[in-house]
Amino acid sequence: MTTLLQVTGLTKRFAEKTVVDAIDFVLEEHTSTALIGPNGAGKTTTLSMLTGLLRPSFGSVNMVGGDLRANIGFLPQYPQFQPWLSALEFTEMAAKLSGVSAKKAKQEAQKTLEFVGLGNDLHKKIATFSGGMKQRLGISQAIVHKPKLLLLDEPVSALDPVGRREVLDLLKGLQQQTTILYSTHILNDAEEMTDQLLFLSDGKLVEQGTLREVRQRYDEPNYVVEFSTVEEAQYFVSQSTFKCTVNGCYVSVAIQEDKPSMQQLLESLTAYPYLVRNVARQTASLEEIFMKVAKRV
Amino acid sequence: MMEELANIPWAIIAPLIGVQIILVIVALIDLSKIHATNGPKILWVLIILFINLLGPIAYFIVGRKQS
Amino acid sequence: MSGMNVLLQKEFREAWRSRKFLWIPLVFALLGMSEPLTNYYMMDILEAVGNMPEGFEMLMPELVPADLLLATISQFQLIGLLVLMASFVGAISKERSNGTATLLYVRPISFGSFFISKFIVISAVGFVSIVAGFAASVYYTVVLYGTFEVGTLLASIGTYFIWVLFVLALTLMMSAAFKTTVAATAAFIIIFIGQIIDGLVGTFWTISPWKLPLYGVQLIRGTMEMSDYWWSLVMTVVLICVCMSIGVFSMKKNASSTKI
Repeated sequence: MTTLLQVTGLTKRFAEKTVVDAIDFVLEEHTSTALIGPNGAGKTTTLSMLTGLLRPSFGSVNMVGGDLRANIGFLPQYPQFQPWLSALEFTEMAAKLSGVSAKKAKQEAQKTLEFVGLGNDLHKKIATFSGGMKQRLGISQAIVHKPKLLLLDEPVSALDPVGRREVLDLLKGLQQQTTILYSTHILNDAEEMTDQLLFLSDGKLVEQGTLREVRQRYDEPNYVVEFSTVEEAQYFVSQSTFKCTVNGCYVSVAIQEDKPSMQQLLESLTAYPYLVRNVARQTASLEEIFMKVAKRV
Repeated sequence: MMEELANIPWAIIAPLIGVQIILVIVALIDLSKIHATNGPKILWVLIILFINLLGPIAYFIVGRKQS
Repeated sequence: MSGMNVLLQKEFREAWRSRKFLWIPLVFALLGMSEPLTNYYMMDILEAVGNMPEGFEMLMPELVPADLLLATISQFQLIGLLVLMASFVGAISKERSNGTATLLYVRPISFGSFFISKFIVISAVGFVSIVAGFAASVYYTVVLYGTFEVGTLLASIGTYFIWVLFVLALTLMMSAAFKTTVAATAAFIIIFIGQIIDGLVGTFWTISPWKLPLYGVQLIRGTMEMSDYWWSLVMTVVLICVCMSIGVFSMKKNASSTKI
């Protein structure tokens, strides 16, 4: 893996308030990174500094082997367009301004618009576009020049479920071709397409790593045992040396994830003739991890 | 009749009529294409047609709504 | 200046599709027509309004073509400039406040290109406008009063265009530096209060951009002190360059206040 972007000590201060506080991270080529955190955590400010729109108070953003501004595509949370241009005119303009040659720009713009599903609206004025169409147009202007790095601010938050599904699929299709960094506060979306997670809280990077790493760090391994009756479940809890919580026929058992503990659990299940229906390892959802990270801070 | 027509100082009137016609035509074409106006469209049609010179200009300044 | 063609195309499209390229010149044309017409028909208008005492005869001053051009320019100086400035004072500040600037400023394009593309297109609108205005005024003056000498007339129009360039450069600079309302206030104060001051106590100096419109007419009359003219012209051109430099600088500085 080769490093594409190196961010060191990135800080933004507005008057007294530190909105982004000395964050460091690295983006590898052809990976997707989710920047997650509650509203006001500094996600948009971080992205703005990466695009160059906002000058950092301290710290640096380095793109390996190239000028940053020439190699990014940016989709703001609420993209605004010149309403008197058509979709094709706007995308073509975006392409040319980002350095696509005049000859190829129109063709590329048309291809990109077809890719995002606006093939039938090439010549419609943007003034007549719906929210979903604007989001697609926003994506098309961000990718038309084939940037090395795609920065997306809450790309699906404002869309309805159908639109969200479609845009997520679009973005997944882009994963192979480019590096993506996107912010979101909707964790299901992050879970769906991410190689690296960056947790932002109050401007600080409080946790980072691959989804697996973060899971391992915060996962308290948990096995859920399903018994056939409530009495069995309660009896098991009374006998067990593990930390258990009962919920009807279900008992969730917190154990160390090592062989002796595992064996102990299985032995305790065979020590008495339970009618066990199911034993499953439970993985913490990103939501739960998120809550834990947020609580720890 | 012909004499009356000949008495009209065309050199003075014609440019004014020309400007008025251009303004009205362009304003009406623009109005027919535009997505939304400030205030009802039919009102602007009347203003453009019946207020000479200033009607179309008023439409361009305050009637057009972008975005 | 990379991306200049693209930006010029965008700005021209905007000026064209918002019909500014059309109605602003027509407003100037109407202003141009009004002065020679109302002056010529003043007696008829007064009679039509009535209330004239029996045997009343007003002594109308004998007007020469240059007087009508001056009267026309004073129309441009108030209503014309107001229309031009109000139309373009949001050129940069509105793009920031409505967020359309975001998708432009993230591109690898210099702020010089952004600023100059706007200035060129706005100047083109200004040029077409004053050409239309002067054409209308000159047409009626020639029909009703008398002819001009072509050379000095063109010099006069050219001089007025330089003044308009200064007004537009200043307006655009304010738009780059401030929010729309502040920019409008600042630009109006400098241009209009400047005119008033120059009118009241302007006899104490002879070199100033605010005097250029008057100097243009004096070229026609042949009463111009040429060194004053040239120095005023040089000063105006220098100020245009200063406005543009400050404009580019402030545009860059304020880029971060773009709504994201």
